[in-house]
Amino acid sequence: MNSRSAAPIPPRNGPLLEFDALRYRYDDGTAGLDGCSLSVQSGSRNALIGANGSGKTTLFLHANGLLRPEAGEVRYAGTPLDYRRAGLRAARTHIGIVFQNPEHQLFSANVREDVSFGPLNLGLDTATVSARVDAALAAVGMQTLAERPVHNLSFGQKKRVAIAGVLAMQPRVLLLDEPMAGLDARMQDDLLALLERLHHDGMTILLATHDIDFAYRWADQIHLMAAGRCTATLATASLAEHADALAAAGLRLPDVIHVQRALVAHGVLPASAPAATCLSDLLARLERLRSNAPSTASV
Amino acid sequence: MLIEQAAYANRWRTVTPGAKALFAGCGLVAAFLAAATPWQAAAVTTCLALVTLVGAGIAPRLYLRVAAPALGFLAIGCLSLTYSLNFDSDSGGLSLAASASGRTQALETGARALTALAALLFLVLSTPLSDLIALLRRLQMPEILLDIMVLCYRTLFVFSAALRDIHTAQAARLGYAAPRLALRSSALLLAGLVGQIWQRAHALHLAAEARNGDGPLRFLAPPFRHARRDTTIAALAGLALIALAASARIAARWHPA
Repeated sequence: MNSRSAAPIPPRNGPLLEFDALRYRYDDGTAGLDGCSLSVQSGSRNALIGANGSGKTTLFLHANGLLRPEAGEVRYAGTPLDYRRAGLRAARTHIGIVFQNPEHQLFSANVREDVSFGPLNLGLDTATVSARVDAALAAVGMQTLAERPVHNLSFGQKKRVAIAGVLAMQPRVLLLDEPMAGLDARMQDDLLALLERLHHDGMTILLATHDIDFAYRWADQIHLMAAGRCTATLATASLAEHADALAAAGLRLPDVIHVQRALVAHGVLPASAPAATCLSDLLARLERLRSNAPSTASV
Repeated sequence: MLIEQAAYANRWRTVTPGAKALFAGCGLVAAFLAAATPWQAAAVTTCLALVTLVGAGIAPRLYLRVAAPALGFLAIGCLSLTYSLNFDSDSGGLSLAASASGRTQALETGARALTALAALLFLVLSTPLSDLIALLRRLQMPEILLDIMVLCYRTLFVFSAALRDIHTAQAARLGYAAPRLALRSSALLLAGLVGQIWQRAHALHLAAEARNGDGPLRFLAPPFRHARRDTTIAALAGLALIALAASARIAARWHPA
């Protein structure tokens, strides 16, 4: 279930969203981005990892023209972003952003109304909007709370409504800023399952996180951010070989890699065993090993 | 919060807000018609309160708690209309006097305000504000006013949560342990909230833009079944209220003293 190889990968057609040498400085003089370049492949799962203040949120705000770079360009499907009204409208239709704090995103009185805000802005008719709202709420498991006032929801529920509000616009690229922050373990699992379904349906996903273990478990590619620039883009499958790049960004190798190396060193797992993506994946593999060869396997 | 709690949990939550607003509107008309005849006013007020308590199923205790501040203001207003403070130039003392005209004025004003209060309580305790905003949208109220209502309503809860959080954090570090500290903490809380208001307003603006918001805040209006039936019943009930309020005037016209 958690093994990356088990997930169906839709066909890729090259980069869908590209950030090319972006520079941005905030009004108070703080450097937001400093020559940041990053490419997101169509249909792929991407994790953006970096310390606080490394520029992850600033980069997201550039993706659909909420911020305009001082230098460099953003390209969607090979075309530079058009910052005129029609161009921004198109960009925000195709690229959806879920903000870190749902309190900053939800402004309507009740759940259903808030989710309808985006699709209504697309100029869709009421029946289509209603259908999209129902589908988006069902996708995040909030259909039973559709008529509830937003302020009576828990943080996790608000987060789900925020995601539904973006899903209802049916974007091709979904950007999530720290989606796991503030969620309990069960909600994190639910969100992970939702992300898998979206990926299965062909959506391109880029999420910002601090959690290297989660990124290793879920993503196809990991982009490292530090001091306003993307310092490396690593294929998750080969992450174990890039401990130096991770260390340079102040990150460690995922725990599961260390555990698997220890198990190989102790002869419990063969060196040729495929890399596990998370500890539960590794445990399941060990269980299978024990049941297949109970007399020889030592777990 | 009490109003919110009742509005979302009452028996008539799914009744179309148009019907409830129509009935409340009739209640307001009845309040003006019945003001001069206290018994009629009392009867209309009782009807409105009973409809709210029995029909919509609002708990009497909650009803009284919501009405209490308004009733308090009303009582003070009526007392000040009834009694006047006079300065006696001979004795040089102050005296409290009640005039007949003041009593009549207080009775009329009190009766009208009480009935109008019962009508408005019926509406707000049985209808969530989001439904009322949707109704006003259908009635072609200017977009800008609706947007302000939506944002004020939402931010009311966001800031009450922020206020509670900051206050708790201050109290946990002895911020309110002494009057002087409490004054200082209150000032810091206020200053902190101003900053938060600015940040959150900017964040909400960004979030609206990210979802293609270009000015007016558009939302899906909730569907209501049996809207026509509910509106007809509300209109008939409202007319009955108006008839009850006007009955004294009609009787006086037909049987002059």
